[in-house]
Amino acid sequence: MPFSVPYRCTLSVEIELFGQLVTAAERQQILTLEKSMTVQEVAILLGLDPEEIGLISINGVQSELEDLVPQDCRLCFFPPISGG
Amino acid sequence: MYLLRVNMKSQQVSREPVPQKYERLGGRALIARLLLEEAPPTCDALGPLNILIFAPGLLGGGGVSTAGRLSVGGKSPLTGGIKETNAGGTAGDTLPKLGVKAIIVEEQPQRDELYLLRITADTAELLPAGDLKGLGTYATSDRLQERYGPDSTVISIGQAGEYLMYGAGIAVTGERDQRSNHAARGGLGAVMGSKGLKAIVIDKPTGKSIPLADSNLFRESARIFAQKLINDPKLGKQGSQHLYGTASIVAAVNEIGSLPTRNFSSGNFENATELRGERLRELILEREGKVGTRCMPGCAIACRNSYVDDDGKPIVGTLQYETIALMGSNLGLDNLDDVARLNYLCNDFGLDTIETGAALGIALEAGLAKFGDTESILSLLYQVGDGTTLGRVIGNGAVVTGRVFGIRRVPAVLGQAMPGYDPRSLKGNGVTYATSPQGADHTAGNAFGARKEVNPLGVQGQRELSLKLQIIAAMLDSTGLCLFARPPVIADPQLMVDMVNGIYGWGWTKEDLDRFNRTVLRDEIEFNRLAGITPADHRIPEYMRYEPLAPHNAVFDVPDSDLDAVFSAL
Repeated sequence: MPFSVPYRCTLSVEIELFGQLVTAAERQQILTLEKSMTVQEVAILLGLDPEEIGLISINGVQSELEDLVPQDCRLCFFPPISGG
Repeated sequence: MYLLRVNMKSQQVSREPVPQKYERLGGRALIARLLLEEAPPTCDALGPLNILIFAPGLLGGGGVSTAGRLSVGGKSPLTGGIKETNAGGTAGDTLPKLGVKAIIVEEQPQRDELYLLRITADTAELLPAGDLKGLGTYATSDRLQERYGPDSTVISIGQAGEYLMYGAGIAVTGERDQRSNHAARGGLGAVMGSKGLKAIVIDKPTGKSIPLADSNLFRESARIFAQKLINDPKLGKQGSQHLYGTASIVAAVNEIGSLPTRNFSSGNFENATELRGERLRELILEREGKVGTRCMPGCAIACRNSYVDDDGKPIVGTLQYETIALMGSNLGLDNLDDVARLNYLCNDFGLDTIETGAALGIALEAGLAKFGDTESILSLLYQVGDGTTLGRVIGNGAVVTGRVFGIRRVPAVLGQAMPGYDPRSLKGNGVTYATSPQGADHTAGNAFGARKEVNPLGVQGQRELSLKLQIIAAMLDSTGLCLFARPPVIADPQLMVDMVNGIYGWGWTKEDLDRFNRTVLRDEIEFNRLAGITPADHRIPEYMRYEPLAPHNAVFDVPDSDLDAVFSAL
């Protein structure tokens, strides 16, 4: 019976929040996800309002709310910012 | 309104009615047209045929929030092409209130003498300024405000401008005793020095606003515009720009791998945490300095700070992102106090912190000092102010420094150093550097923070994004608006149209505004073409096409054919 023991996949995600987003959750934490999640789902899990997120990066690559969070990644949330 | 024409050879200062062809131009737009009409594009940038122009934007003097920037323009000694660089402070607000649409400085004195231009409500005259020779911009501003009143505005150059260094900028004072506003880029401080003009002193006007053609339309649109700034999530009282200043982006630029580090050899600085906007705010508040202050009267964003030392003593008027990038991580420095000290010296000598930071990065790569060694770096910078041989090399910017020390990794385009975004991992900015008539200049079209449009690491869509941003930048720079004020006018260009129509009654439409913006770029491109600049002069440095940048191992791979096609849709 190869499938008698349910296969459980956990994802470890290093999270960092920047700027005023820190008031909503801890600045740095390691999150263990029991299932595959989108960036938006993780944001809500952390207590962030997706509307207040300006920029997202996964392993340094600019990402979007609907992207899936990969295994063992670094996920950063920034408030709305602009360069100049 | 009138044009103030200042002939440094004859010492004549004359008021001229604004010719009809210039009536509907301001700031960068007016500079481009004046240069095309009055300066031979092939002229020596530091010779008598170049002209130096000071021009407020179209909205200047009207009291529109963030619209008080002063544009300064001329042929750049650094790029060999057209240059517009702008600064906050009070000049962009006071000149229109005195009826001055632009100051045009032409020719050169016959002797090696310095002058100051004094502008009052009724008069404008050149006065000897030999007593200011060798003074930095802080001492020059202090002395002239003591002489002419604390409410006067002082525009000045420091030692770098007097030495005709290509890295020299122009300082503009602000409200009360505020300093540290600089029209820094392109070496226009050297052009001012070449004219023998040490300073301009402008009396505070008695009038509260410029004449308005339709005051109801103007007041309502300006009010909505200010309210939109206040409500903007980036710019309002709870926004990053206000809370952390321009340094709010240090962490994000580092995270995406575009933060210039040790002469652009990496896009990621291991100690960037110490340079972040969050750290800047924390330090300033702990030491009882100031955050969230203004560089222009009536600015609703207020992203400026007063950076103080451990004893609460001011080090520099405002510490900004570009300086933190070019004089912090780019030099391997992880201490904001050190960056602030370097910034103060640059401001005092009248040096562009971007150009000088890039030149210092090259000097460090050449082994003149070690990355991260603050005292050695400071001593190199002191030499620029002292005008030693080595100081003159560094003060002439990145390209000259690279050439003298045999360093091939020179982060510059069209002779001008890159600002704080490595183009290998933020390719939209690379396209702007490689195509803007202004050379490597982030204010000409900054792609950082663009979401859902393009992948910063990808090639697709960069050319269209850069063009869109360059057109918007031309509008901001011609109306006197701050770069950060763009969200409301991008979302609703009619707001800008209404504010312009409210002042001038021109009956512009959004299409007229769009044509106006595009014409600015066309005029600039034409000036550069006549100056002999070709697309080949605009290329991103070759090493950036094959030396991968950590952490993404990115190279600049936007094809030349894409770069050359950017303006085909202009």
